[in-house]
Amino acid sequence: MSLYLWFTLMLVVSALWLIWFLCRPLKTSALNLEKSNIVLGRQKQAELEQDLQSDLIDKQVFEQAKDEIVQTLSIEIKQTSDTIDSTQQSVPIWLIALIVVFLFGASLFVYRSLTSQSITAQNVATMQTLQAQKPPTLAQSIVSIKKRLKEKPDDAKAWRILGLALFESDEISQSLEAYERSYQLAPKNVEMLVEYASTLATSQNNQFTGRVSTLVREALEINANSSDALYLAGWVALSVQQFDLTQKLWQKALSLLPENQPERVILQRMLNELSQTQNEDIQPAQQHQVTLNITLSKRLHQAEFQNHYLMIYVKAMRGRPMPIAIVKIKVKDFAGVVTLTDENSVMSTRKLSQSSKVLAVVRLSKSGSAIRQVGDIEAVSQVIDVRDDPTVELKL
Amino acid sequence: MLPEIGHFALILSLIAAVLQVVLPSVGMLRGSVALMQLSRPLLWMQFFWIAVSFALLMNAFMMDDFSVKYVANNSNTQLPDMFKVSAVWGAHEGSLLLWALILSAWSVAVSIFSKRLPTQVLNHILIILGLISIGFLLFLLLTSNPFERLDVVPTQGRELNPLLQDFGLIIHPPMLYMGYVGMAVPFAFVLSSLIRGQLDSTWLRWSRPWTLVAWAFLTFGIVLGSWWAYYELGWGGWWFWDPVENASFMPWLVATALVHSLSVSEKRGAFKHWTVLLAISGFSLSLLGTFLVRSGILTSVHSFAVDPERGLFILIFLMIVVGGSLGLYARRASLMRSGNQFAPLSRESVLLINNILLVAATLVVFLGTMYPLLFASLGLGKISVGAPYFDFMFVIVMIPAVLVMAIGAFLRWKKDSVDRVTDVIIHTAFVAFTITLITYLSLDNIAVVLAVFLFVWVVLHSLLLLAQRLIRKNNINGAFLGMLLAHIGIAVFLLGATVTTQYGVEKDIKMSPNETVEIEGYSFTFKGVDDFKGQNYTGHKGVIEVAYQGGKIATLEPEKRQYVTGMPMTEAAIDPSFYRDIYVALGESLGEGVWSLRLYYKPLIRWIWLGGLFIAFGALLAAFDRRYCIKVKAKS
Repeated sequence: MSLYLWFTLMLVVSALWLIWFLCRPLKTSALNLEKSNIVLGRQKQAELEQDLQSDLIDKQVFEQAKDEIVQTLSIEIKQTSDTIDSTQQSVPIWLIALIVVFLFGASLFVYRSLTSQSITAQNVATMQTLQAQKPPTLAQSIVSIKKRLKEKPDDAKAWRILGLALFESDEISQSLEAYERSYQLAPKNVEMLVEYASTLATSQNNQFTGRVSTLVREALEINANSSDALYLAGWVALSVQQFDLTQKLWQKALSLLPENQPERVILQRMLNELSQTQNEDIQPAQQHQVTLNITLSKRLHQAEFQNHYLMIYVKAMRGRPMPIAIVKIKVKDFAGVVTLTDENSVMSTRKLSQSSKVLAVVRLSKSGSAIRQVGDIEAVSQVIDVRDDPTVELKL
Repeated sequence: MLPEIGHFALILSLIAAVLQVVLPSVGMLRGSVALMQLSRPLLWMQFFWIAVSFALLMNAFMMDDFSVKYVANNSNTQLPDMFKVSAVWGAHEGSLLLWALILSAWSVAVSIFSKRLPTQVLNHILIILGLISIGFLLFLLLTSNPFERLDVVPTQGRELNPLLQDFGLIIHPPMLYMGYVGMAVPFAFVLSSLIRGQLDSTWLRWSRPWTLVAWAFLTFGIVLGSWWAYYELGWGGWWFWDPVENASFMPWLVATALVHSLSVSEKRGAFKHWTVLLAISGFSLSLLGTFLVRSGILTSVHSFAVDPERGLFILIFLMIVVGGSLGLYARRASLMRSGNQFAPLSRESVLLINNILLVAATLVVFLGTMYPLLFASLGLGKISVGAPYFDFMFVIVMIPAVLVMAIGAFLRWKKDSVDRVTDVIIHTAFVAFTITLITYLSLDNIAVVLAVFLFVWVVLHSLLLLAQRLIRKNNINGAFLGMLLAHIGIAVFLLGATVTTQYGVEKDIKMSPNETVEIEGYSFTFKGVDDFKGQNYTGHKGVIEVAYQGGKIATLEPEKRQYVTGMPMTEAAIDPSFYRDIYVALGESLGEGVWSLRLYYKPLIRWIWLGGLFIAFGALLAAFDRRYCIKVKAKS
């Protein structure tokens, strides 16, 4: 049954319910306010007598209290003398029709006004189809969004969603194009700006420089309290080693995140490590490398994991949580050994060779996101020293 | 499709609420009974569609429908079913839907159980409740739609805040909301009387049982929240003066004052001004609490959303409710000039003093909660008002309130004599002082000695009252027994809170396997830590053996959990008893099998919640007093 058929059914049930009571009104209580107050006045007098028996009122003031009850009652009766005269006449048919029309018209109008154009009944049906084929593939989503964009090429929101979907599919350059289109159409969308900047940084091997910082600045100019934009601004500041500014930006982002957001824990951890690192001296070093021999369990060789990503990186033993050098590779393309060198360093200002005590990490991620996601599997090495050009064995 | 049906059901309930306000109002103006009587069927329709909407949201959680943003943000496939149910109200949108459902449920209850109210009065009340419903349904639909779809459907959802994955949180919010929303009923009674211009006996008599039930639920809700915080947050505390706790405590204090004020207005026709103001304040403070939680102004374990738009909506709603009702109050002030007199020494006077003290306590809490917010919003920097302020100021106000509370029940209405009262007070005071003196000789803590005195003072007075009535074979009704139970509950709470605060012992220590530590005669032996896995978390479980006088009394297993999102959680282990709790929380691993642990000895802590339960049951007992169940016949 289609959605609007359901809505019609719900409206019909509501209308019948109303019509029933309009045609057959509920019995009204024969008790009016005056009678109610008289009854309660008598009841209060009886209770007063009980109070007297229970020694809750002095005999001397008993009569006075009794008079007060009578006086109160007389005032109440005076006040109720102007009650409305009501008639038992039935409601005219035109009024019933008007009520039913209002019920239908108002409900559907409010529904249409509240639901955005992109989520119409037709789209709901599409969504249902996609949901029935659990899990929905990104490819299907991309096809349907592209189809929509052919019909409505000026839909900035759809371009943004396409950018996101393409990013998830690791089509970074296409994703950037889609974001650029969205940017041209609606440059004031903070969420889009943040996603665009993030994608751009990914395409630049996690360098938060150039256009990335411009986009982040634009996002913050529109909404200085966007926690996502502040988070990225922190990375921009970090990339030029402005640790104090990074700390300020992340602290502000943290204060804006609701208490129940898991991202708080990650951000808090990053802040802790940042403050520990600030006093560390970064020593210049010779060229060094870390070799990782990674063994994947049999389960991870199964087809379902072939398109997952292996995020292989080293990070400081203490200090910043982000990788110093990283390689991102799909499971199907993985040969078993990876060597991290200065070429794989995330920041030009901090090369792998400049590090000493580090941890080697391999993380299996479905999304390939830089931040650990729900469902990711991770293995971490013992502390190693980069200056020894170590070889690390890791099992996942 | 089901979420869309849920959304549409919510819209239908809004339309029903609008019709519930408009049609009976038109009926009253035109004198049409057929339109007037529609308030009840429209209300039932509103309730039905909100219930459908709520059931469909719950279904979305149970079916892991992550196309719904709210579900994707607060649940995942690994979440146990029990918590999928509570996740429905675990965050902003769902909790607001629960609020709307409870409000309509209260309204339905009023429409069904108020047969002793004249239809015209009932219609007015239902119109006011309908207006409040419109406000909340608009809030839901315009700013907090729980059925909003995601453009890209994730294959897995996020995590319900681990703090909320607990049995206490399944029942604490609904109970608290029952209390919060219940305050709308006395408010609607008052407002309907002000609109009608008839502040009469009918309003006073029939609003009292509803106020008592709302107060009972509010008490239950606060007690449950305190109990949950105690065992779940791992700090061993039971009240933190958290701003959101304060936001629920303020309506409770005002509701307490209202319950007493209503009794005077109902029986003696006095304090009508006061009663009206308290009813308006009670509901306004409930709304203020909602504003504080929803606007993101406050940061606490209760904060759901940082959303100025939502905050602004509630603020406007609050201003309309408070401004409108106070404006109406000012306009009708002449109706409340009651001339019923009472002497300075009378039950009315004592109840008035108690009311003033309760309102003063509310102001103390209000100031402590709002002052830092005002200070910050005026750009004067950040300050915090902590527990020492609240503890000191609150105790100062509440000691006289407890002293007066016990005496009040002994006094006669309208006028009493000093000789008669002195006789009772001297005898009870003598016994209370004797017991306190004995306590003083064995204890050296002045706060506990004072608490013992107040406990004995209240319990003695209550028992004496009961004995008097039994000897005189006077009527012992639900209201009387409820009052005694609630007053004893206050005494029990007071003693429990003081003793646990003063004599509780807390130790933060590091322990190696098989190391033993002694606290207040109890020896705690740390046996080590095991790893384990739950449905949606992994964790460490400590094993601590507790012995007393050489005999083992319990093995406690505190946990440290790591949820799938990486959020850590502490699960304390408790050995409870009537006289004391032994409480252990697992800290961090310090390497080589050494762990940091928090060990607590909490004497009489259960008395805090026992006292709260006494108060709540007392309120329910009074609410179902025979007087409120007598049928008023139209013939008379």
